[in-house]
Amino acid sequence: MDLFNLAIKSIFIDNMVFAYFLGMCSFLAVSKKVSTALGLGAAVIFVLTVTAPANWLLNEFILKEGALVWLGESFAEIDLSFLRFIMFIAIIAAMVQLVEMIVEKFAPALYGALGIFLPLIAVNCAILGGSLFMATRDYTLAEAGVYGFGSGVGFFLAIVALAAIREKLKYSNVPNGLKGLGITMLITGLMGIAFMSFMGIDL
Amino acid sequence: MSTETAQVTEVKKPAEALLSKRRKKLLSDPLVDDNPITIQVLGICSALAVTTQLQPTFVMALSVIFVMVFANLTISLLRNTIPSRVRIIVQLAVIASLVTLVNEVLKAFAYDMYKELSVFVGLIITNCIVMGRLEAYALGNKPYDSVLDGFGSALGYAWIILAVAFFRELWGSGSVFGVPVFDQISGLFGDDFSLATNGLMVSPVGAFIILGLIIWVQRTKTGYVEH
Amino acid sequence: MQQSNVYIVTFSVILTVVLGLLLSGTSQVLGPIQKKAVELDTKKQILGAVLEASELSKMSGEEVFAYYDKRISSKVVNIKGEEVEKDEDGIAIIPENVDIGRNYKRKPEDRLYPVFMFLAENGEDVESFIIPVYGAGLWDAIWGYVALETDLTTIKGVTFAHASETPGLGARITDASVQARFQGKRIFDESGELQSVNMQKGEGRDYSDDAHKVDGLSGATITAVGVNNMLKAYMSHYSAYIQKRRSGESGGMAVLN
Repeated sequence: MDLFNLAIKSIFIDNMVFAYFLGMCSFLAVSKKVSTALGLGAAVIFVLTVTAPANWLLNEFILKEGALVWLGESFAEIDLSFLRFIMFIAIIAAMVQLVEMIVEKFAPALYGALGIFLPLIAVNCAILGGSLFMATRDYTLAEAGVYGFGSGVGFFLAIVALAAIREKLKYSNVPNGLKGLGITMLITGLMGIAFMSFMGIDL
Repeated sequence: MSTETAQVTEVKKPAEALLSKRRKKLLSDPLVDDNPITIQVLGICSALAVTTQLQPTFVMALSVIFVMVFANLTISLLRNTIPSRVRIIVQLAVIASLVTLVNEVLKAFAYDMYKELSVFVGLIITNCIVMGRLEAYALGNKPYDSVLDGFGSALGYAWIILAVAFFRELWGSGSVFGVPVFDQISGLFGDDFSLATNGLMVSPVGAFIILGLIIWVQRTKTGYVEH
Repeated sequence: MQQSNVYIVTFSVILTVVLGLLLSGTSQVLGPIQKKAVELDTKKQILGAVLEASELSKMSGEEVFAYYDKRISSKVVNIKGEEVEKDEDGIAIIPENVDIGRNYKRKPEDRLYPVFMFLAENGEDVESFIIPVYGAGLWDAIWGYVALETDLTTIKGVTFAHASETPGLGARITDASVQARFQGKRIFDESGELQSVNMQKGEGRDYSDDAHKVDGLSGATITAVGVNNMLKAYMSHYSAYIQKRRSGESGGMAVLN
């Protein structure tokens, strides 16, 4: 039940985009068409679900203060948490590479759909943000996995919804200065208001 | 920039002046005409979350300036030695190290700020502005120019997030840099008078709307139209 | 430029070593300062329950440490109110280092409960008991410290903090004026039943004649309910210790009741 709660929370309430502004770059850049938004969204779900638990293991058994205790008593004092940023981003970059290779080998159709988005994702703040939040919030391994998946789904929903709106927006008469980024920001704000109605929900 | 100042610097050559016209442009272009946030649409991620108050935003802006200047400098110094096949990971490693430095220093000397900014300092790593400038400029230009370029882009980023933070703090919490302006204004008009704050401004929604409006104003002024 | 694999590997190794040395060097140099900053932050929060914020902010870091050492005596108890000195691995527990947030994730029976005793000038008599509390607000965690008078029921002062409550609404739990509303309220009623104190819905009413009600936060009802739940939960977790202390078992002194 707790895990389910966490999933709902990370999808709707703590939505990566609307509550924490994470992944905004790709959110704005790749939301012009629903079909590409679907591809990017799916790739983000995939990578977040893989990297959050992977970074959890890294943090728990290598980086955290006293995490190296499994190597022996004398390692209990070592605190490598200052390496957190660099290790997390390295794991993410490596994971993205790995995922790319696996998908290319075993699911060429999926690779065709996701292909160009995968490398982009390594520098998507939503991915690193997911790992950092997971570390500061002291999740367990299962929670980290669910949180990664939920956050990915949240991002997916947000980007697909925005892309759908932007497709219709082509037919609207938007003031020159607002065209593109400006109106997209305002729409995102309004979508954020809609998502605010989920706040305070505790299952 | 007037042509007059340009001519003056022109005369000073043979060696290019410390702040020649070209170099001034490196600094000033990202401020308005080629602003990383409002025109290039980069680096919005890590910025907006901290803009509910001016103080953390200011620290964030300083951190980004530091990271950008030194990342640009480092990459530019190494530009002829970096193997192109691993250049992305090298850039990430340099940025991540600089961000870690900032994070450690904040934790040691400004613990309150460290708590407030929490993971968002770390997210400077994935700030597309930093990566973008390294890739587009520092890899192919001399160190001093790269430093100016980084500084300019970071300033362009800084003033936008400070502007967003100013409006969000003023309207959302009724204060500027923590000084309760609204309370003092209402104090002037007696007990029955009070200025209400708008809760929407402190929520993420406020940031989107304020930024949207700033972009509108700015693009109307510069005449930039996105197609 | 021709780049062989050997060159790439050498470059990567050199870069890794240089960056690694740089980072571990910084961490070595700054580590102790950071530890001190964290410690200072905890001690300030604890003292915040009994001291005015203005008084506390005037003190330098060194003064806070000195004041803390002189005036606070601390220990850790379990849910049954028994003193715990060592953890499962037999390592001595330092009450200030007990991470309340991490303990919050365990079952209440398994948690460690630190108690901080604020001593009088003479360094012996207990003036008040400071108890940490932790719970969930609207967005994220909220926590704080509650200082109880020697009768272990009247609130002497509270201090709250939060991870990300809404500024101007829920975040007002950190305001001195809001925290002052808890002063003089009572945790237990006349018959000794746990009543805790509750922030009410709405704001601006006078609850000075009711020992268990506190004026609420308009626009931040969920945060206020979070505060209520947090106080009630932790007061009940500590009630075994409080009962013991009252009946004088755990080396209790006559000053009680």
